[in-house]
Amino acid sequence: MGMDRERPIERFLPLRPVEFDVLLSLAAGERHGYGIIQDAEARGLAAPPDVGTLYRALRRMQEQALIDGAEPREAPEAGGERRHYYRITPLGLRVARAEAYRLAALARAAMASGLLEATAL
Amino acid sequence: MSTRIMPHDMHGRPLDGPAAGETRLVRASDRLLRLLLRLYPEDFRQDMGEAIVETYRDRCRDAVRRGGLPTLAGVWFSAVGDSVRNGLGERARPSISWRRTGNWGRDAERTIRRLVRAPLFTLSMIATLTIGLGAFAVVFAVVQKVLLAPLPYERPEDLYFVWRDYSTIMDLKRGSLAGTDVTALATSGGPIMDVAAISRSQRTLARANVPPTDAAPEEIPLFVTTPNIFKILGVRPMLGRSFAPAEVGPGRTPVVVLGHDLWQRRFAGDRTVVGTDVLLNDIAYKVIGVLPPDVRFLKHSGLGPPESAEAYVTHTVDLATTNPGAGSYAGLLRARPGSSPQAVAAAVGTVGRRVDERDHGSRGIALHPVELIPDLVANVRPALLVLAAAGALLVLVLAVNMATLLLVRASERDREFAISNALGANRSALVRATLLEAMLLGIVGGACGALLAVWGTRALVALAPENLPRRETIAIDWPIALVVVGTGALLGLLAGMLPAGWATQARLSTLLRNAAVRGGGGQGRMRRAMVVVQVALSVVLLSAGGLVVRSFSHLLRVEPGFDAENMLTMRVPVPTARYTGDTLANQLHDRLQRELAAIPGVTSVGAASLLPLANDGNQTRVTFPGAPGNKGDEEHDAPLVDYLSTRPGYFETLGIRVAAGRPFGPTRTPGLREAVIDQALADQFYPGGNAVGARIRFGDDTLTVVGVVGHARMYDVHQDGRMQLYLRNEDYTYHTLQWALRSDRPPATLVQDVRATVQRIDPGLALAQVRPMSEVVDEALRQPRLSAVLLSAFSIGALLLAAMGLYGVVAGSVNRRRHEMAVRLALGADHRGVLRLMLGEGVRLVLLGLVIGVPGVWAAGRLIDGVLVGVSPLDPLTLVAVVGGLALVAAVACYVPARRVGGIEPAQSLREG
Repeated sequence: MGMDRERPIERFLPLRPVEFDVLLSLAAGERHGYGIIQDAEARGLAAPPDVGTLYRALRRMQEQALIDGAEPREAPEAGGERRHYYRITPLGLRVARAEAYRLAALARAAMASGLLEATAL
Repeated sequence: MSTRIMPHDMHGRPLDGPAAGETRLVRASDRLLRLLLRLYPEDFRQDMGEAIVETYRDRCRDAVRRGGLPTLAGVWFSAVGDSVRNGLGERARPSISWRRTGNWGRDAERTIRRLVRAPLFTLSMIATLTIGLGAFAVVFAVVQKVLLAPLPYERPEDLYFVWRDYSTIMDLKRGSLAGTDVTALATSGGPIMDVAAISRSQRTLARANVPPTDAAPEEIPLFVTTPNIFKILGVRPMLGRSFAPAEVGPGRTPVVVLGHDLWQRRFAGDRTVVGTDVLLNDIAYKVIGVLPPDVRFLKHSGLGPPESAEAYVTHTVDLATTNPGAGSYAGLLRARPGSSPQAVAAAVGTVGRRVDERDHGSRGIALHPVELIPDLVANVRPALLVLAAAGALLVLVLAVNMATLLLVRASERDREFAISNALGANRSALVRATLLEAMLLGIVGGACGALLAVWGTRALVALAPENLPRRETIAIDWPIALVVVGTGALLGLLAGMLPAGWATQARLSTLLRNAAVRGGGGQGRMRRAMVVVQVALSVVLLSAGGLVVRSFSHLLRVEPGFDAENMLTMRVPVPTARYTGDTLANQLHDRLQRELAAIPGVTSVGAASLLPLANDGNQTRVTFPGAPGNKGDEEHDAPLVDYLSTRPGYFETLGIRVAAGRPFGPTRTPGLREAVIDQALADQFYPGGNAVGARIRFGDDTLTVVGVVGHARMYDVHQDGRMQLYLRNEDYTYHTLQWALRSDRPPATLVQDVRATVQRIDPGLALAQVRPMSEVVDEALRQPRLSAVLLSAFSIGALLLAAMGLYGVVAGSVNRRRHEMAVRLALGADHRGVLRLMLGEGVRLVLLGLVIGVPGVWAAGRLIDGVLVGVSPLDPLTLVAVVGGLALVAAVACYVPARRVGGIEPAQSLREG
């Protein structure tokens, strides 16, 4: 996937909702799959991604080097069972930041056109 | 002592209480999830499967804690949806990862690349499939469109034709109905919804109030019908309206509905023609409507093929007042929706018995309905079924051929397979790849075949008889193309199964062993078995083809009783409105005959109410009072004969042999009604000869036989019809006659002069059906010709495929046993002996195939017996020729590769080995 590494950041944008969910969670630290879903639920915006949808995105993002798989390790909240963890790569962080700026710009534009009150942010 | 088995969690810690229940549920979830994971492609499953199960486990555990079993069930339910959607979604996206295995798109891509790398194999395979499936597609299209497709009417399954069955009193099962029969049927109710009475007639069409150049008269066939016909068919005019219920019977404005073809051809699609008048036999008819293009209604007839017409008018008589003894109409019946054919037959039968009692003094004249499609295709059905069977057989041969080629290919790759297997390759992946390759070839071949068949059907329609029912609908459309492509795919799958099986069995050990001894192994056995099957199938197809070709060549040689060469025929309709009475008509006929005979090159002119092969006839009963052949049995002594009204010079012009007495002279003998009878009639009543001078009762008249002639066939080229009686047209005047001109120049060159002559005599006369008699004969031979062409093409194709298979086996065997042959040669065997050894293998396969084919040949003979003329289905000459031909081709196919053993240099071969 050498080609993908040379992809300009903008070529990843806009991210799919599930991809942004993943990057948002992983930006805060390593997570396993259910952790990402719980984070998305906690954000409470839309329905959290399906498990299958999430893992297809995780695999795709691994191939695009946006995230990395960490060594499986015991998860305290799963009764000490071993879990697959994922972490964000520097490229993933840059892409997530670019997506956040893009969304912020959209939000400003929405305010300018009166769709969104200034207090909403 | 008893041990209580405690539940344990996955880390071996004993569980108890609610936690144990929760764990059981979570484990059940795990099992479900692992099952669902199979929906994903294998590589995805390997990468992400464990993580997905873990995540679902967390989810399920949460669900159980939050809401118990119902909440968990919700999670399971959504897991099923999730896996189906994403699993299949992932499979369908080959481009996401190049490294993917176990992915359909990836498999297809690999297969295509493999096929492109072997262009010779791929192209020859696709070419074979294209031709084979193309032939199949053509046959399938014909069978589907002619035998199976529904007619383009509303609920066509509820339509029937009704006929009078006279079989208790004479040999006629399909007599026309009287008008009173139709009225009785139409008012009987029950399952009978409505009935139309239809007759067909030829009228001379001219346009009123148009320039003379557009007004040239033309004879057209039209249906004279009750006004309900379009309601019964469920057909609406495209322009204008259909008949009003009251527009029938005498004393009203005559109205006509034009067929679409006539409207296009004669009125150039002019929409303003509706409301104007046209002339039919010089009577003005108001055009009230034009039918849409797809309405091509055919009136089935008692004798001969169904007939079409170009326009519709209504009866000028009141059907209820017509003579119940006359049979003039075909009855088209619409049954109430959902009535079974048996119920309709019973209802029609009941009406028939009532009518028989009322009108015929209970002589047992019955009415019976026939269904439209079976009746329409009755004549062509046997020939088409033979074609369908031949097409199916060809596809089978093709499948075997394809399997053979794939097997050869698989054997060339057996090293690859064996190594892959030894390296632990996924066996199902190998099977899948092989099947996919075969299926892909089948699909491409099917698509090319369907494309080829687009032209093929056009060629076939050109070859097909004019009266082949629904001829104009024969074409390849999307559903048929889809069936052909599907057949190709199925064929590929079937043919791919053998090599796929072979691929999974390839073991490194076998490969090494085979390499050591260079023996055949299982693959060689399979190939030989397939050659045997091919030979067996080919001999079946070849014998069927051979028989049909023999039958056709017999047809070409039969003597129909007249000479069709150098003869132009035509019909000159004479309107009774202007030529009222027989005298005017006879004067016109005299003049026509005289002036047509004066055309340069014309050597004689004759005319009759019907010409040979008209596939039509007028029948009556005649008796020969006092003839020695009478037996006192009414059926024998009062036979139903075809009678023809002729002009002098008819027999001379047609080349009909005069066996005794004389033909009709140029002028009538005063006080004598002359008759000429055919040989069969003379033989029946005057077995010792001396029929000349005999008296015949013909209706109320007495005729005197002046001559006996050979039978000129009226219906089929190959068999006699009813016995024939010829009358003088001056005695029994038909206004409209069929004319025949014998000439010493090609008939086609006469047409111009004939037209000019007729126009000079009366510009209002139309000419119809102007064509050489040889064309009429050709037309009658079209169906057997088509069968002969298609079946011989199929059987030659099968023979070539079998020869290819045989060649391949012998060539492979020569290659494989090169070493062995070299040893034999080195030990003193001569080349001739070695050659014989190699040939022996091929010969054994051919003989075995022939033996296996014998029951097939017998069955095929039974199947085609119905379409054979003058040839027995087990005709020894044909069978010997087929076996001989097959043996010859097989010998060549064996000898050519086997000859290579001659080139074996023992010393060199052994060194190489």
